[in-house]
Amino acid sequence: MKNSQNGRGAQRLWRGLTAVTASVLALALSAQPLVNASRTDIDKFLGTQSSKTVTDDTGEKQDLFTYKSDYAGTGELLNAIEDLGERMSEEGTVLLKNNGALPLSAGEKGKVSLLGFSSYYPVRGGIMGSSFIANQGTDADTVDLVQALTAKGFTLNPDLQPLYQGLESVFTTEVQSWGGTITYTTITAPSIGGVFSSKEPSQAALNGANASWKDGLSNYNVMIVTIARAGSENGTYLPGEAGVDPSQNLNQTDPLGLSDDERDLIQAAIDAKGADGKVIVLLNSSSAMEVQELEDNAGVDAILQIGLPGGYGFYGVADVLSGDANPSGHLADTYAADIASSPAAQNFGNLEWTNPDPSISLNSAIVQAEGIYMGYKYYETRYADAMLGQGNAGASVGSSTGSGWSYDDEVTYPFGFGLSYTTFEQTLDSVDVDLGARTVTASITVKNTGSVAGKDAIQLYVSLPYVTGGLEKSAIQLLDYAKTDELAPGESKTYTLVADAQNMTSWDSASGNAIGTQGCFVLDAGDYRFTVGNDAHDAVNNVLSAQGVSVDGDSANVKTWSLGSRDETTFARTKNGTAVENHLADMDVNYWLPGAAAYLSRADWQGTWPKTYTGLTANAEMLDILDNDIYEISANNGDPSSVTFGAKNGLTLADLKGVADLDDPRWEQLMDQITLEECMIRTGFGGTSTKAIPSIMSPEAIQNDGPNGIYSYPLGQYASSDASNGDPCAVAEDDPNREYRFGTMVNETVIGQTFSKELAREYGELCGNYSLWANLTIYWGCGTNLHRVPYNARNHEYYSEDAVLTAGQGNDFVQGGLKYGCLIAPKHLAFNDSEINRTGVATFMTEQQARENELRGTQAIVENGALAVMTAFNRVGITASNAHEGLMMDILRGEWGFKGLISEDFIMDANYVTLKEAVLNGVTMSCNTGENTMAAVSEKYSYWTLDAVGKDAKLMAALKQAMTWQNYALANSNALDGLSSNSRLVSVRTWYDNLLTGLQVGFGVLTVGCAAMYVLSAKKKH
Amino acid sequence: MKKSAGFFMTVLSAAAAAVGAAAYFLNCRTNYFVNLGVNPVVMGCAIAAILCQVVYLVATRKGHALWSDVLAVLPPVLLMAAAITLAGARVNGIAAIMTFENNAQNMADLTSAIVGIAACLAAAVAGIIAAFFDTVKE
Repeated sequence: MKNSQNGRGAQRLWRGLTAVTASVLALALSAQPLVNASRTDIDKFLGTQSSKTVTDDTGEKQDLFTYKSDYAGTGELLNAIEDLGERMSEEGTVLLKNNGALPLSAGEKGKVSLLGFSSYYPVRGGIMGSSFIANQGTDADTVDLVQALTAKGFTLNPDLQPLYQGLESVFTTEVQSWGGTITYTTITAPSIGGVFSSKEPSQAALNGANASWKDGLSNYNVMIVTIARAGSENGTYLPGEAGVDPSQNLNQTDPLGLSDDERDLIQAAIDAKGADGKVIVLLNSSSAMEVQELEDNAGVDAILQIGLPGGYGFYGVADVLSGDANPSGHLADTYAADIASSPAAQNFGNLEWTNPDPSISLNSAIVQAEGIYMGYKYYETRYADAMLGQGNAGASVGSSTGSGWSYDDEVTYPFGFGLSYTTFEQTLDSVDVDLGARTVTASITVKNTGSVAGKDAIQLYVSLPYVTGGLEKSAIQLLDYAKTDELAPGESKTYTLVADAQNMTSWDSASGNAIGTQGCFVLDAGDYRFTVGNDAHDAVNNVLSAQGVSVDGDSANVKTWSLGSRDETTFARTKNGTAVENHLADMDVNYWLPGAAAYLSRADWQGTWPKTYTGLTANAEMLDILDNDIYEISANNGDPSSVTFGAKNGLTLADLKGVADLDDPRWEQLMDQITLEECMIRTGFGGTSTKAIPSIMSPEAIQNDGPNGIYSYPLGQYASSDASNGDPCAVAEDDPNREYRFGTMVNETVIGQTFSKELAREYGELCGNYSLWANLTIYWGCGTNLHRVPYNARNHEYYSEDAVLTAGQGNDFVQGGLKYGCLIAPKHLAFNDSEINRTGVATFMTEQQARENELRGTQAIVENGALAVMTAFNRVGITASNAHEGLMMDILRGEWGFKGLISEDFIMDANYVTLKEAVLNGVTMSCNTGENTMAAVSEKYSYWTLDAVGKDAKLMAALKQAMTWQNYALANSNALDGLSSNSRLVSVRTWYDNLLTGLQVGFGVLTVGCAAMYVLSAKKKH
Repeated sequence: MKKSAGFFMTVLSAAAAAVGAAAYFLNCRTNYFVNLGVNPVVMGCAIAAILCQVVYLVATRKGHALWSDVLAVLPPVLLMAAAITLAGARVNGIAAIMTFENNAQNMADLTSAIVGIAACLAAAVAGIIAAFFDTVKE
């Protein structure tokens, strides 16, 4: 009080207020660069726009829109999504076992007991990545199993849902995270380093919640038990007991096998079903599971593999249960009795280097020592060799029983397996191999020999000539496939499949080629046996039978084509005429560390069985590459003046709208206008959208994740709401579907299981239509990594363990999108088959393995015109995938002729982005974001300065080429819809810009004022 | 002279700033963030704030002067700038770790960044409160 009286109190007050205002001013000023750097993501989060394009009214605006939707409005669009989701599930659900229990009768539909917490809390999408998004209040509200069954006329035991709802705490998983706890009531996949915990409530828990819960089962004795395993990006299962929570003691020997609580539940269902009841198990999983015990259990009447059905797939499951749909799905993966016994599983997990270095993302190495023998190519080949008595195939190594290896002990359901409510007879009528046309044309007659209508999957397989010790060959491999029409009982129809003959070539790294080096796709001399079968095992038995082996096969269904001498020429060039040669020799660990590893060979299964390769040490030569600093920016890389930037040629990207010929001279003229600065910023900060480039008037194109739908943003966030600009797909502000989120489709494994290219194309077309309405052009939606092992929790984003099925589904999907200007991208190029240490893991394999498995799953998609690709986090051998010239330039851009845009996968450490190497290798954008200035991009990548790069002609040319490819892709997409030559970019001040400026000005003034008052009060005191 | 509330709040602010600076320094050495280096603005602001506060406490032992009162205002300003700049430097990492790179090790690495940001903000708030009080009773 005394101080106040003498003026000191006023001084303190004004000093304190000055501190307040100056601090807020500091906050506002410091936030400015943060806002500028994060503007793209802030706009996405808030739904604001910091720039827009303006097009002068010069005529019919509709003419500026190249692509047209098939739907009149969002209601029709969403109805189509719902319908396709149901149909994909109908055709992608696989009937694995059926003793006649299915389909259910009308009466049985009225007495269903749903058991298992996953019946009420099913896994509909990934826990992370391709996550299911519930929609309510739209024209296509999503449903779960209970809602779908109810809608389809099933009557459910009313006691059970409350029972499970009351037990939520038993199966809830809480994941601690900054900002709170995320609670899941579905089963979850283990995080990296974690183990699987069974969450199925025990019988004691059920009895404790309601002692009489079983009383109603006799009246509702059609028991449907759902067993679930989740899929998740950044998640993984680990093989065997090491992957199971050791504290549970539930007799669970593998995370993808059953726990005692799950067994007890199924047994309780069997015990309660009575004489006229049924037990049907739904496998709600995108990973193959160990279910031999269910197959063997006579009390289990039927098993359905339903995958992750999304928001509408349960309608399809309901139709399959009732018989309204006849199941026609076939497995996209082998279901092994003991997954951990496979050769691929011997090298899976966190296998660290002895000299890890986090500063260069050097963490672990995976030697994929199984060679080409992944999935069914292992099981069926070893089986064939066992039947042929060769290669020590019957040895105990790899046997799950500990005794001699036997197929029947190892495989529960083969790749391609699937039952129907009817029966079919397939006859391979003819096969014509035309090497000139590079095709295999097969004629197959399919007859419905049963009593109900249904579709069947035609699976055309080939067995290649193999000699012991020669080039590794799978005893059977899928060559092509098709889905039949619905055939009425007794109806028969002949189908013609025209397969790409390259799918039956082998990569021989030692072969000569067209350019006098080594490495070529070859066809060895000998007999090529073609056959059809209900699955891969059926097919290999046909072939063995034709070879005179006494097995349960149909030799009459085998057509043999003989090649007199080895062919090293037909496939020595790819479809665009590029000569092939070894480009991935450095993926073999022995290239760097001679003798470090041996790869599995069918010449001696026992002697070459994969060891687990741990404790590899990166030597100095390897560290020179592993440090991610491979290219040295230099003034000695040509004449910088030879690369033109900043020319005034008067073109805009809209002038080249739809120009598919990259040799059109206007492309060079246009790209001469771009500045080096623009190239450097746009490649360094690709972010979650391609930003506008003023010099060529290239618009921002929004990127979206998938593959279970274009789900990153609500439908209306980027949609035009103003139809007056001529946009035929404008979405009115009061449209009930503006908030719809398209994370609702079945997971990719289910799409693979449909074996229907037509459905894959239909899905692509639907995504294309959606992209028109939502104004979302780029879609990272086509997962083409293979299911190397079922343990990769991210398998839900990929189709299959087989490359031909993957490429077949992916190709039609991507083509469907392109029809509407939607750039659907295959991802992740390549070998991203594990989430463990995915940023940096060194992936080793032979080039034969890479070419015939993983890369074959993407090659056809790219060769047929895909315009976008996403690269992988992992290393290709020891080189970051973005920096691997062999993969990126020689194979992707060269052999496959890719002309489109490439993004790196999500946010990476600046060192691991390998920006300069990535640009040299055709990557058009990293996924990092930042302020639209050279200062910001140079701060992120210290070597990325105008001064340095401006002297390196090679890098400058690569930058310009990268931007050419990126804008070529956009010019041939719907991103340019609505733009004309006179369109221009206009900056927009958002409300948060105004708020920030207001804070800066306001608190600046206040700070000065408070400081002045402080000084005045001090003077007054004195 | 007897110490006043301003003294204790300034000490508290300096201590929080020191915690923030230390947490940031440790964070810069974690596996996840090691390549980003040490941001001179963050570290410079935090150290400058602490130095200002030390000088301020020493200089005001026998009373406040006009120039020394400036030292009461500067620290929260510097600490606010440090906190926001640090948040900006970590925003990409936070986004990645909270989503696509969420695992125990990365979460542990992120912890020190969060502690650093929180400590700098707390120090700034304490510094603001301190500015309303003298360090000694005159």
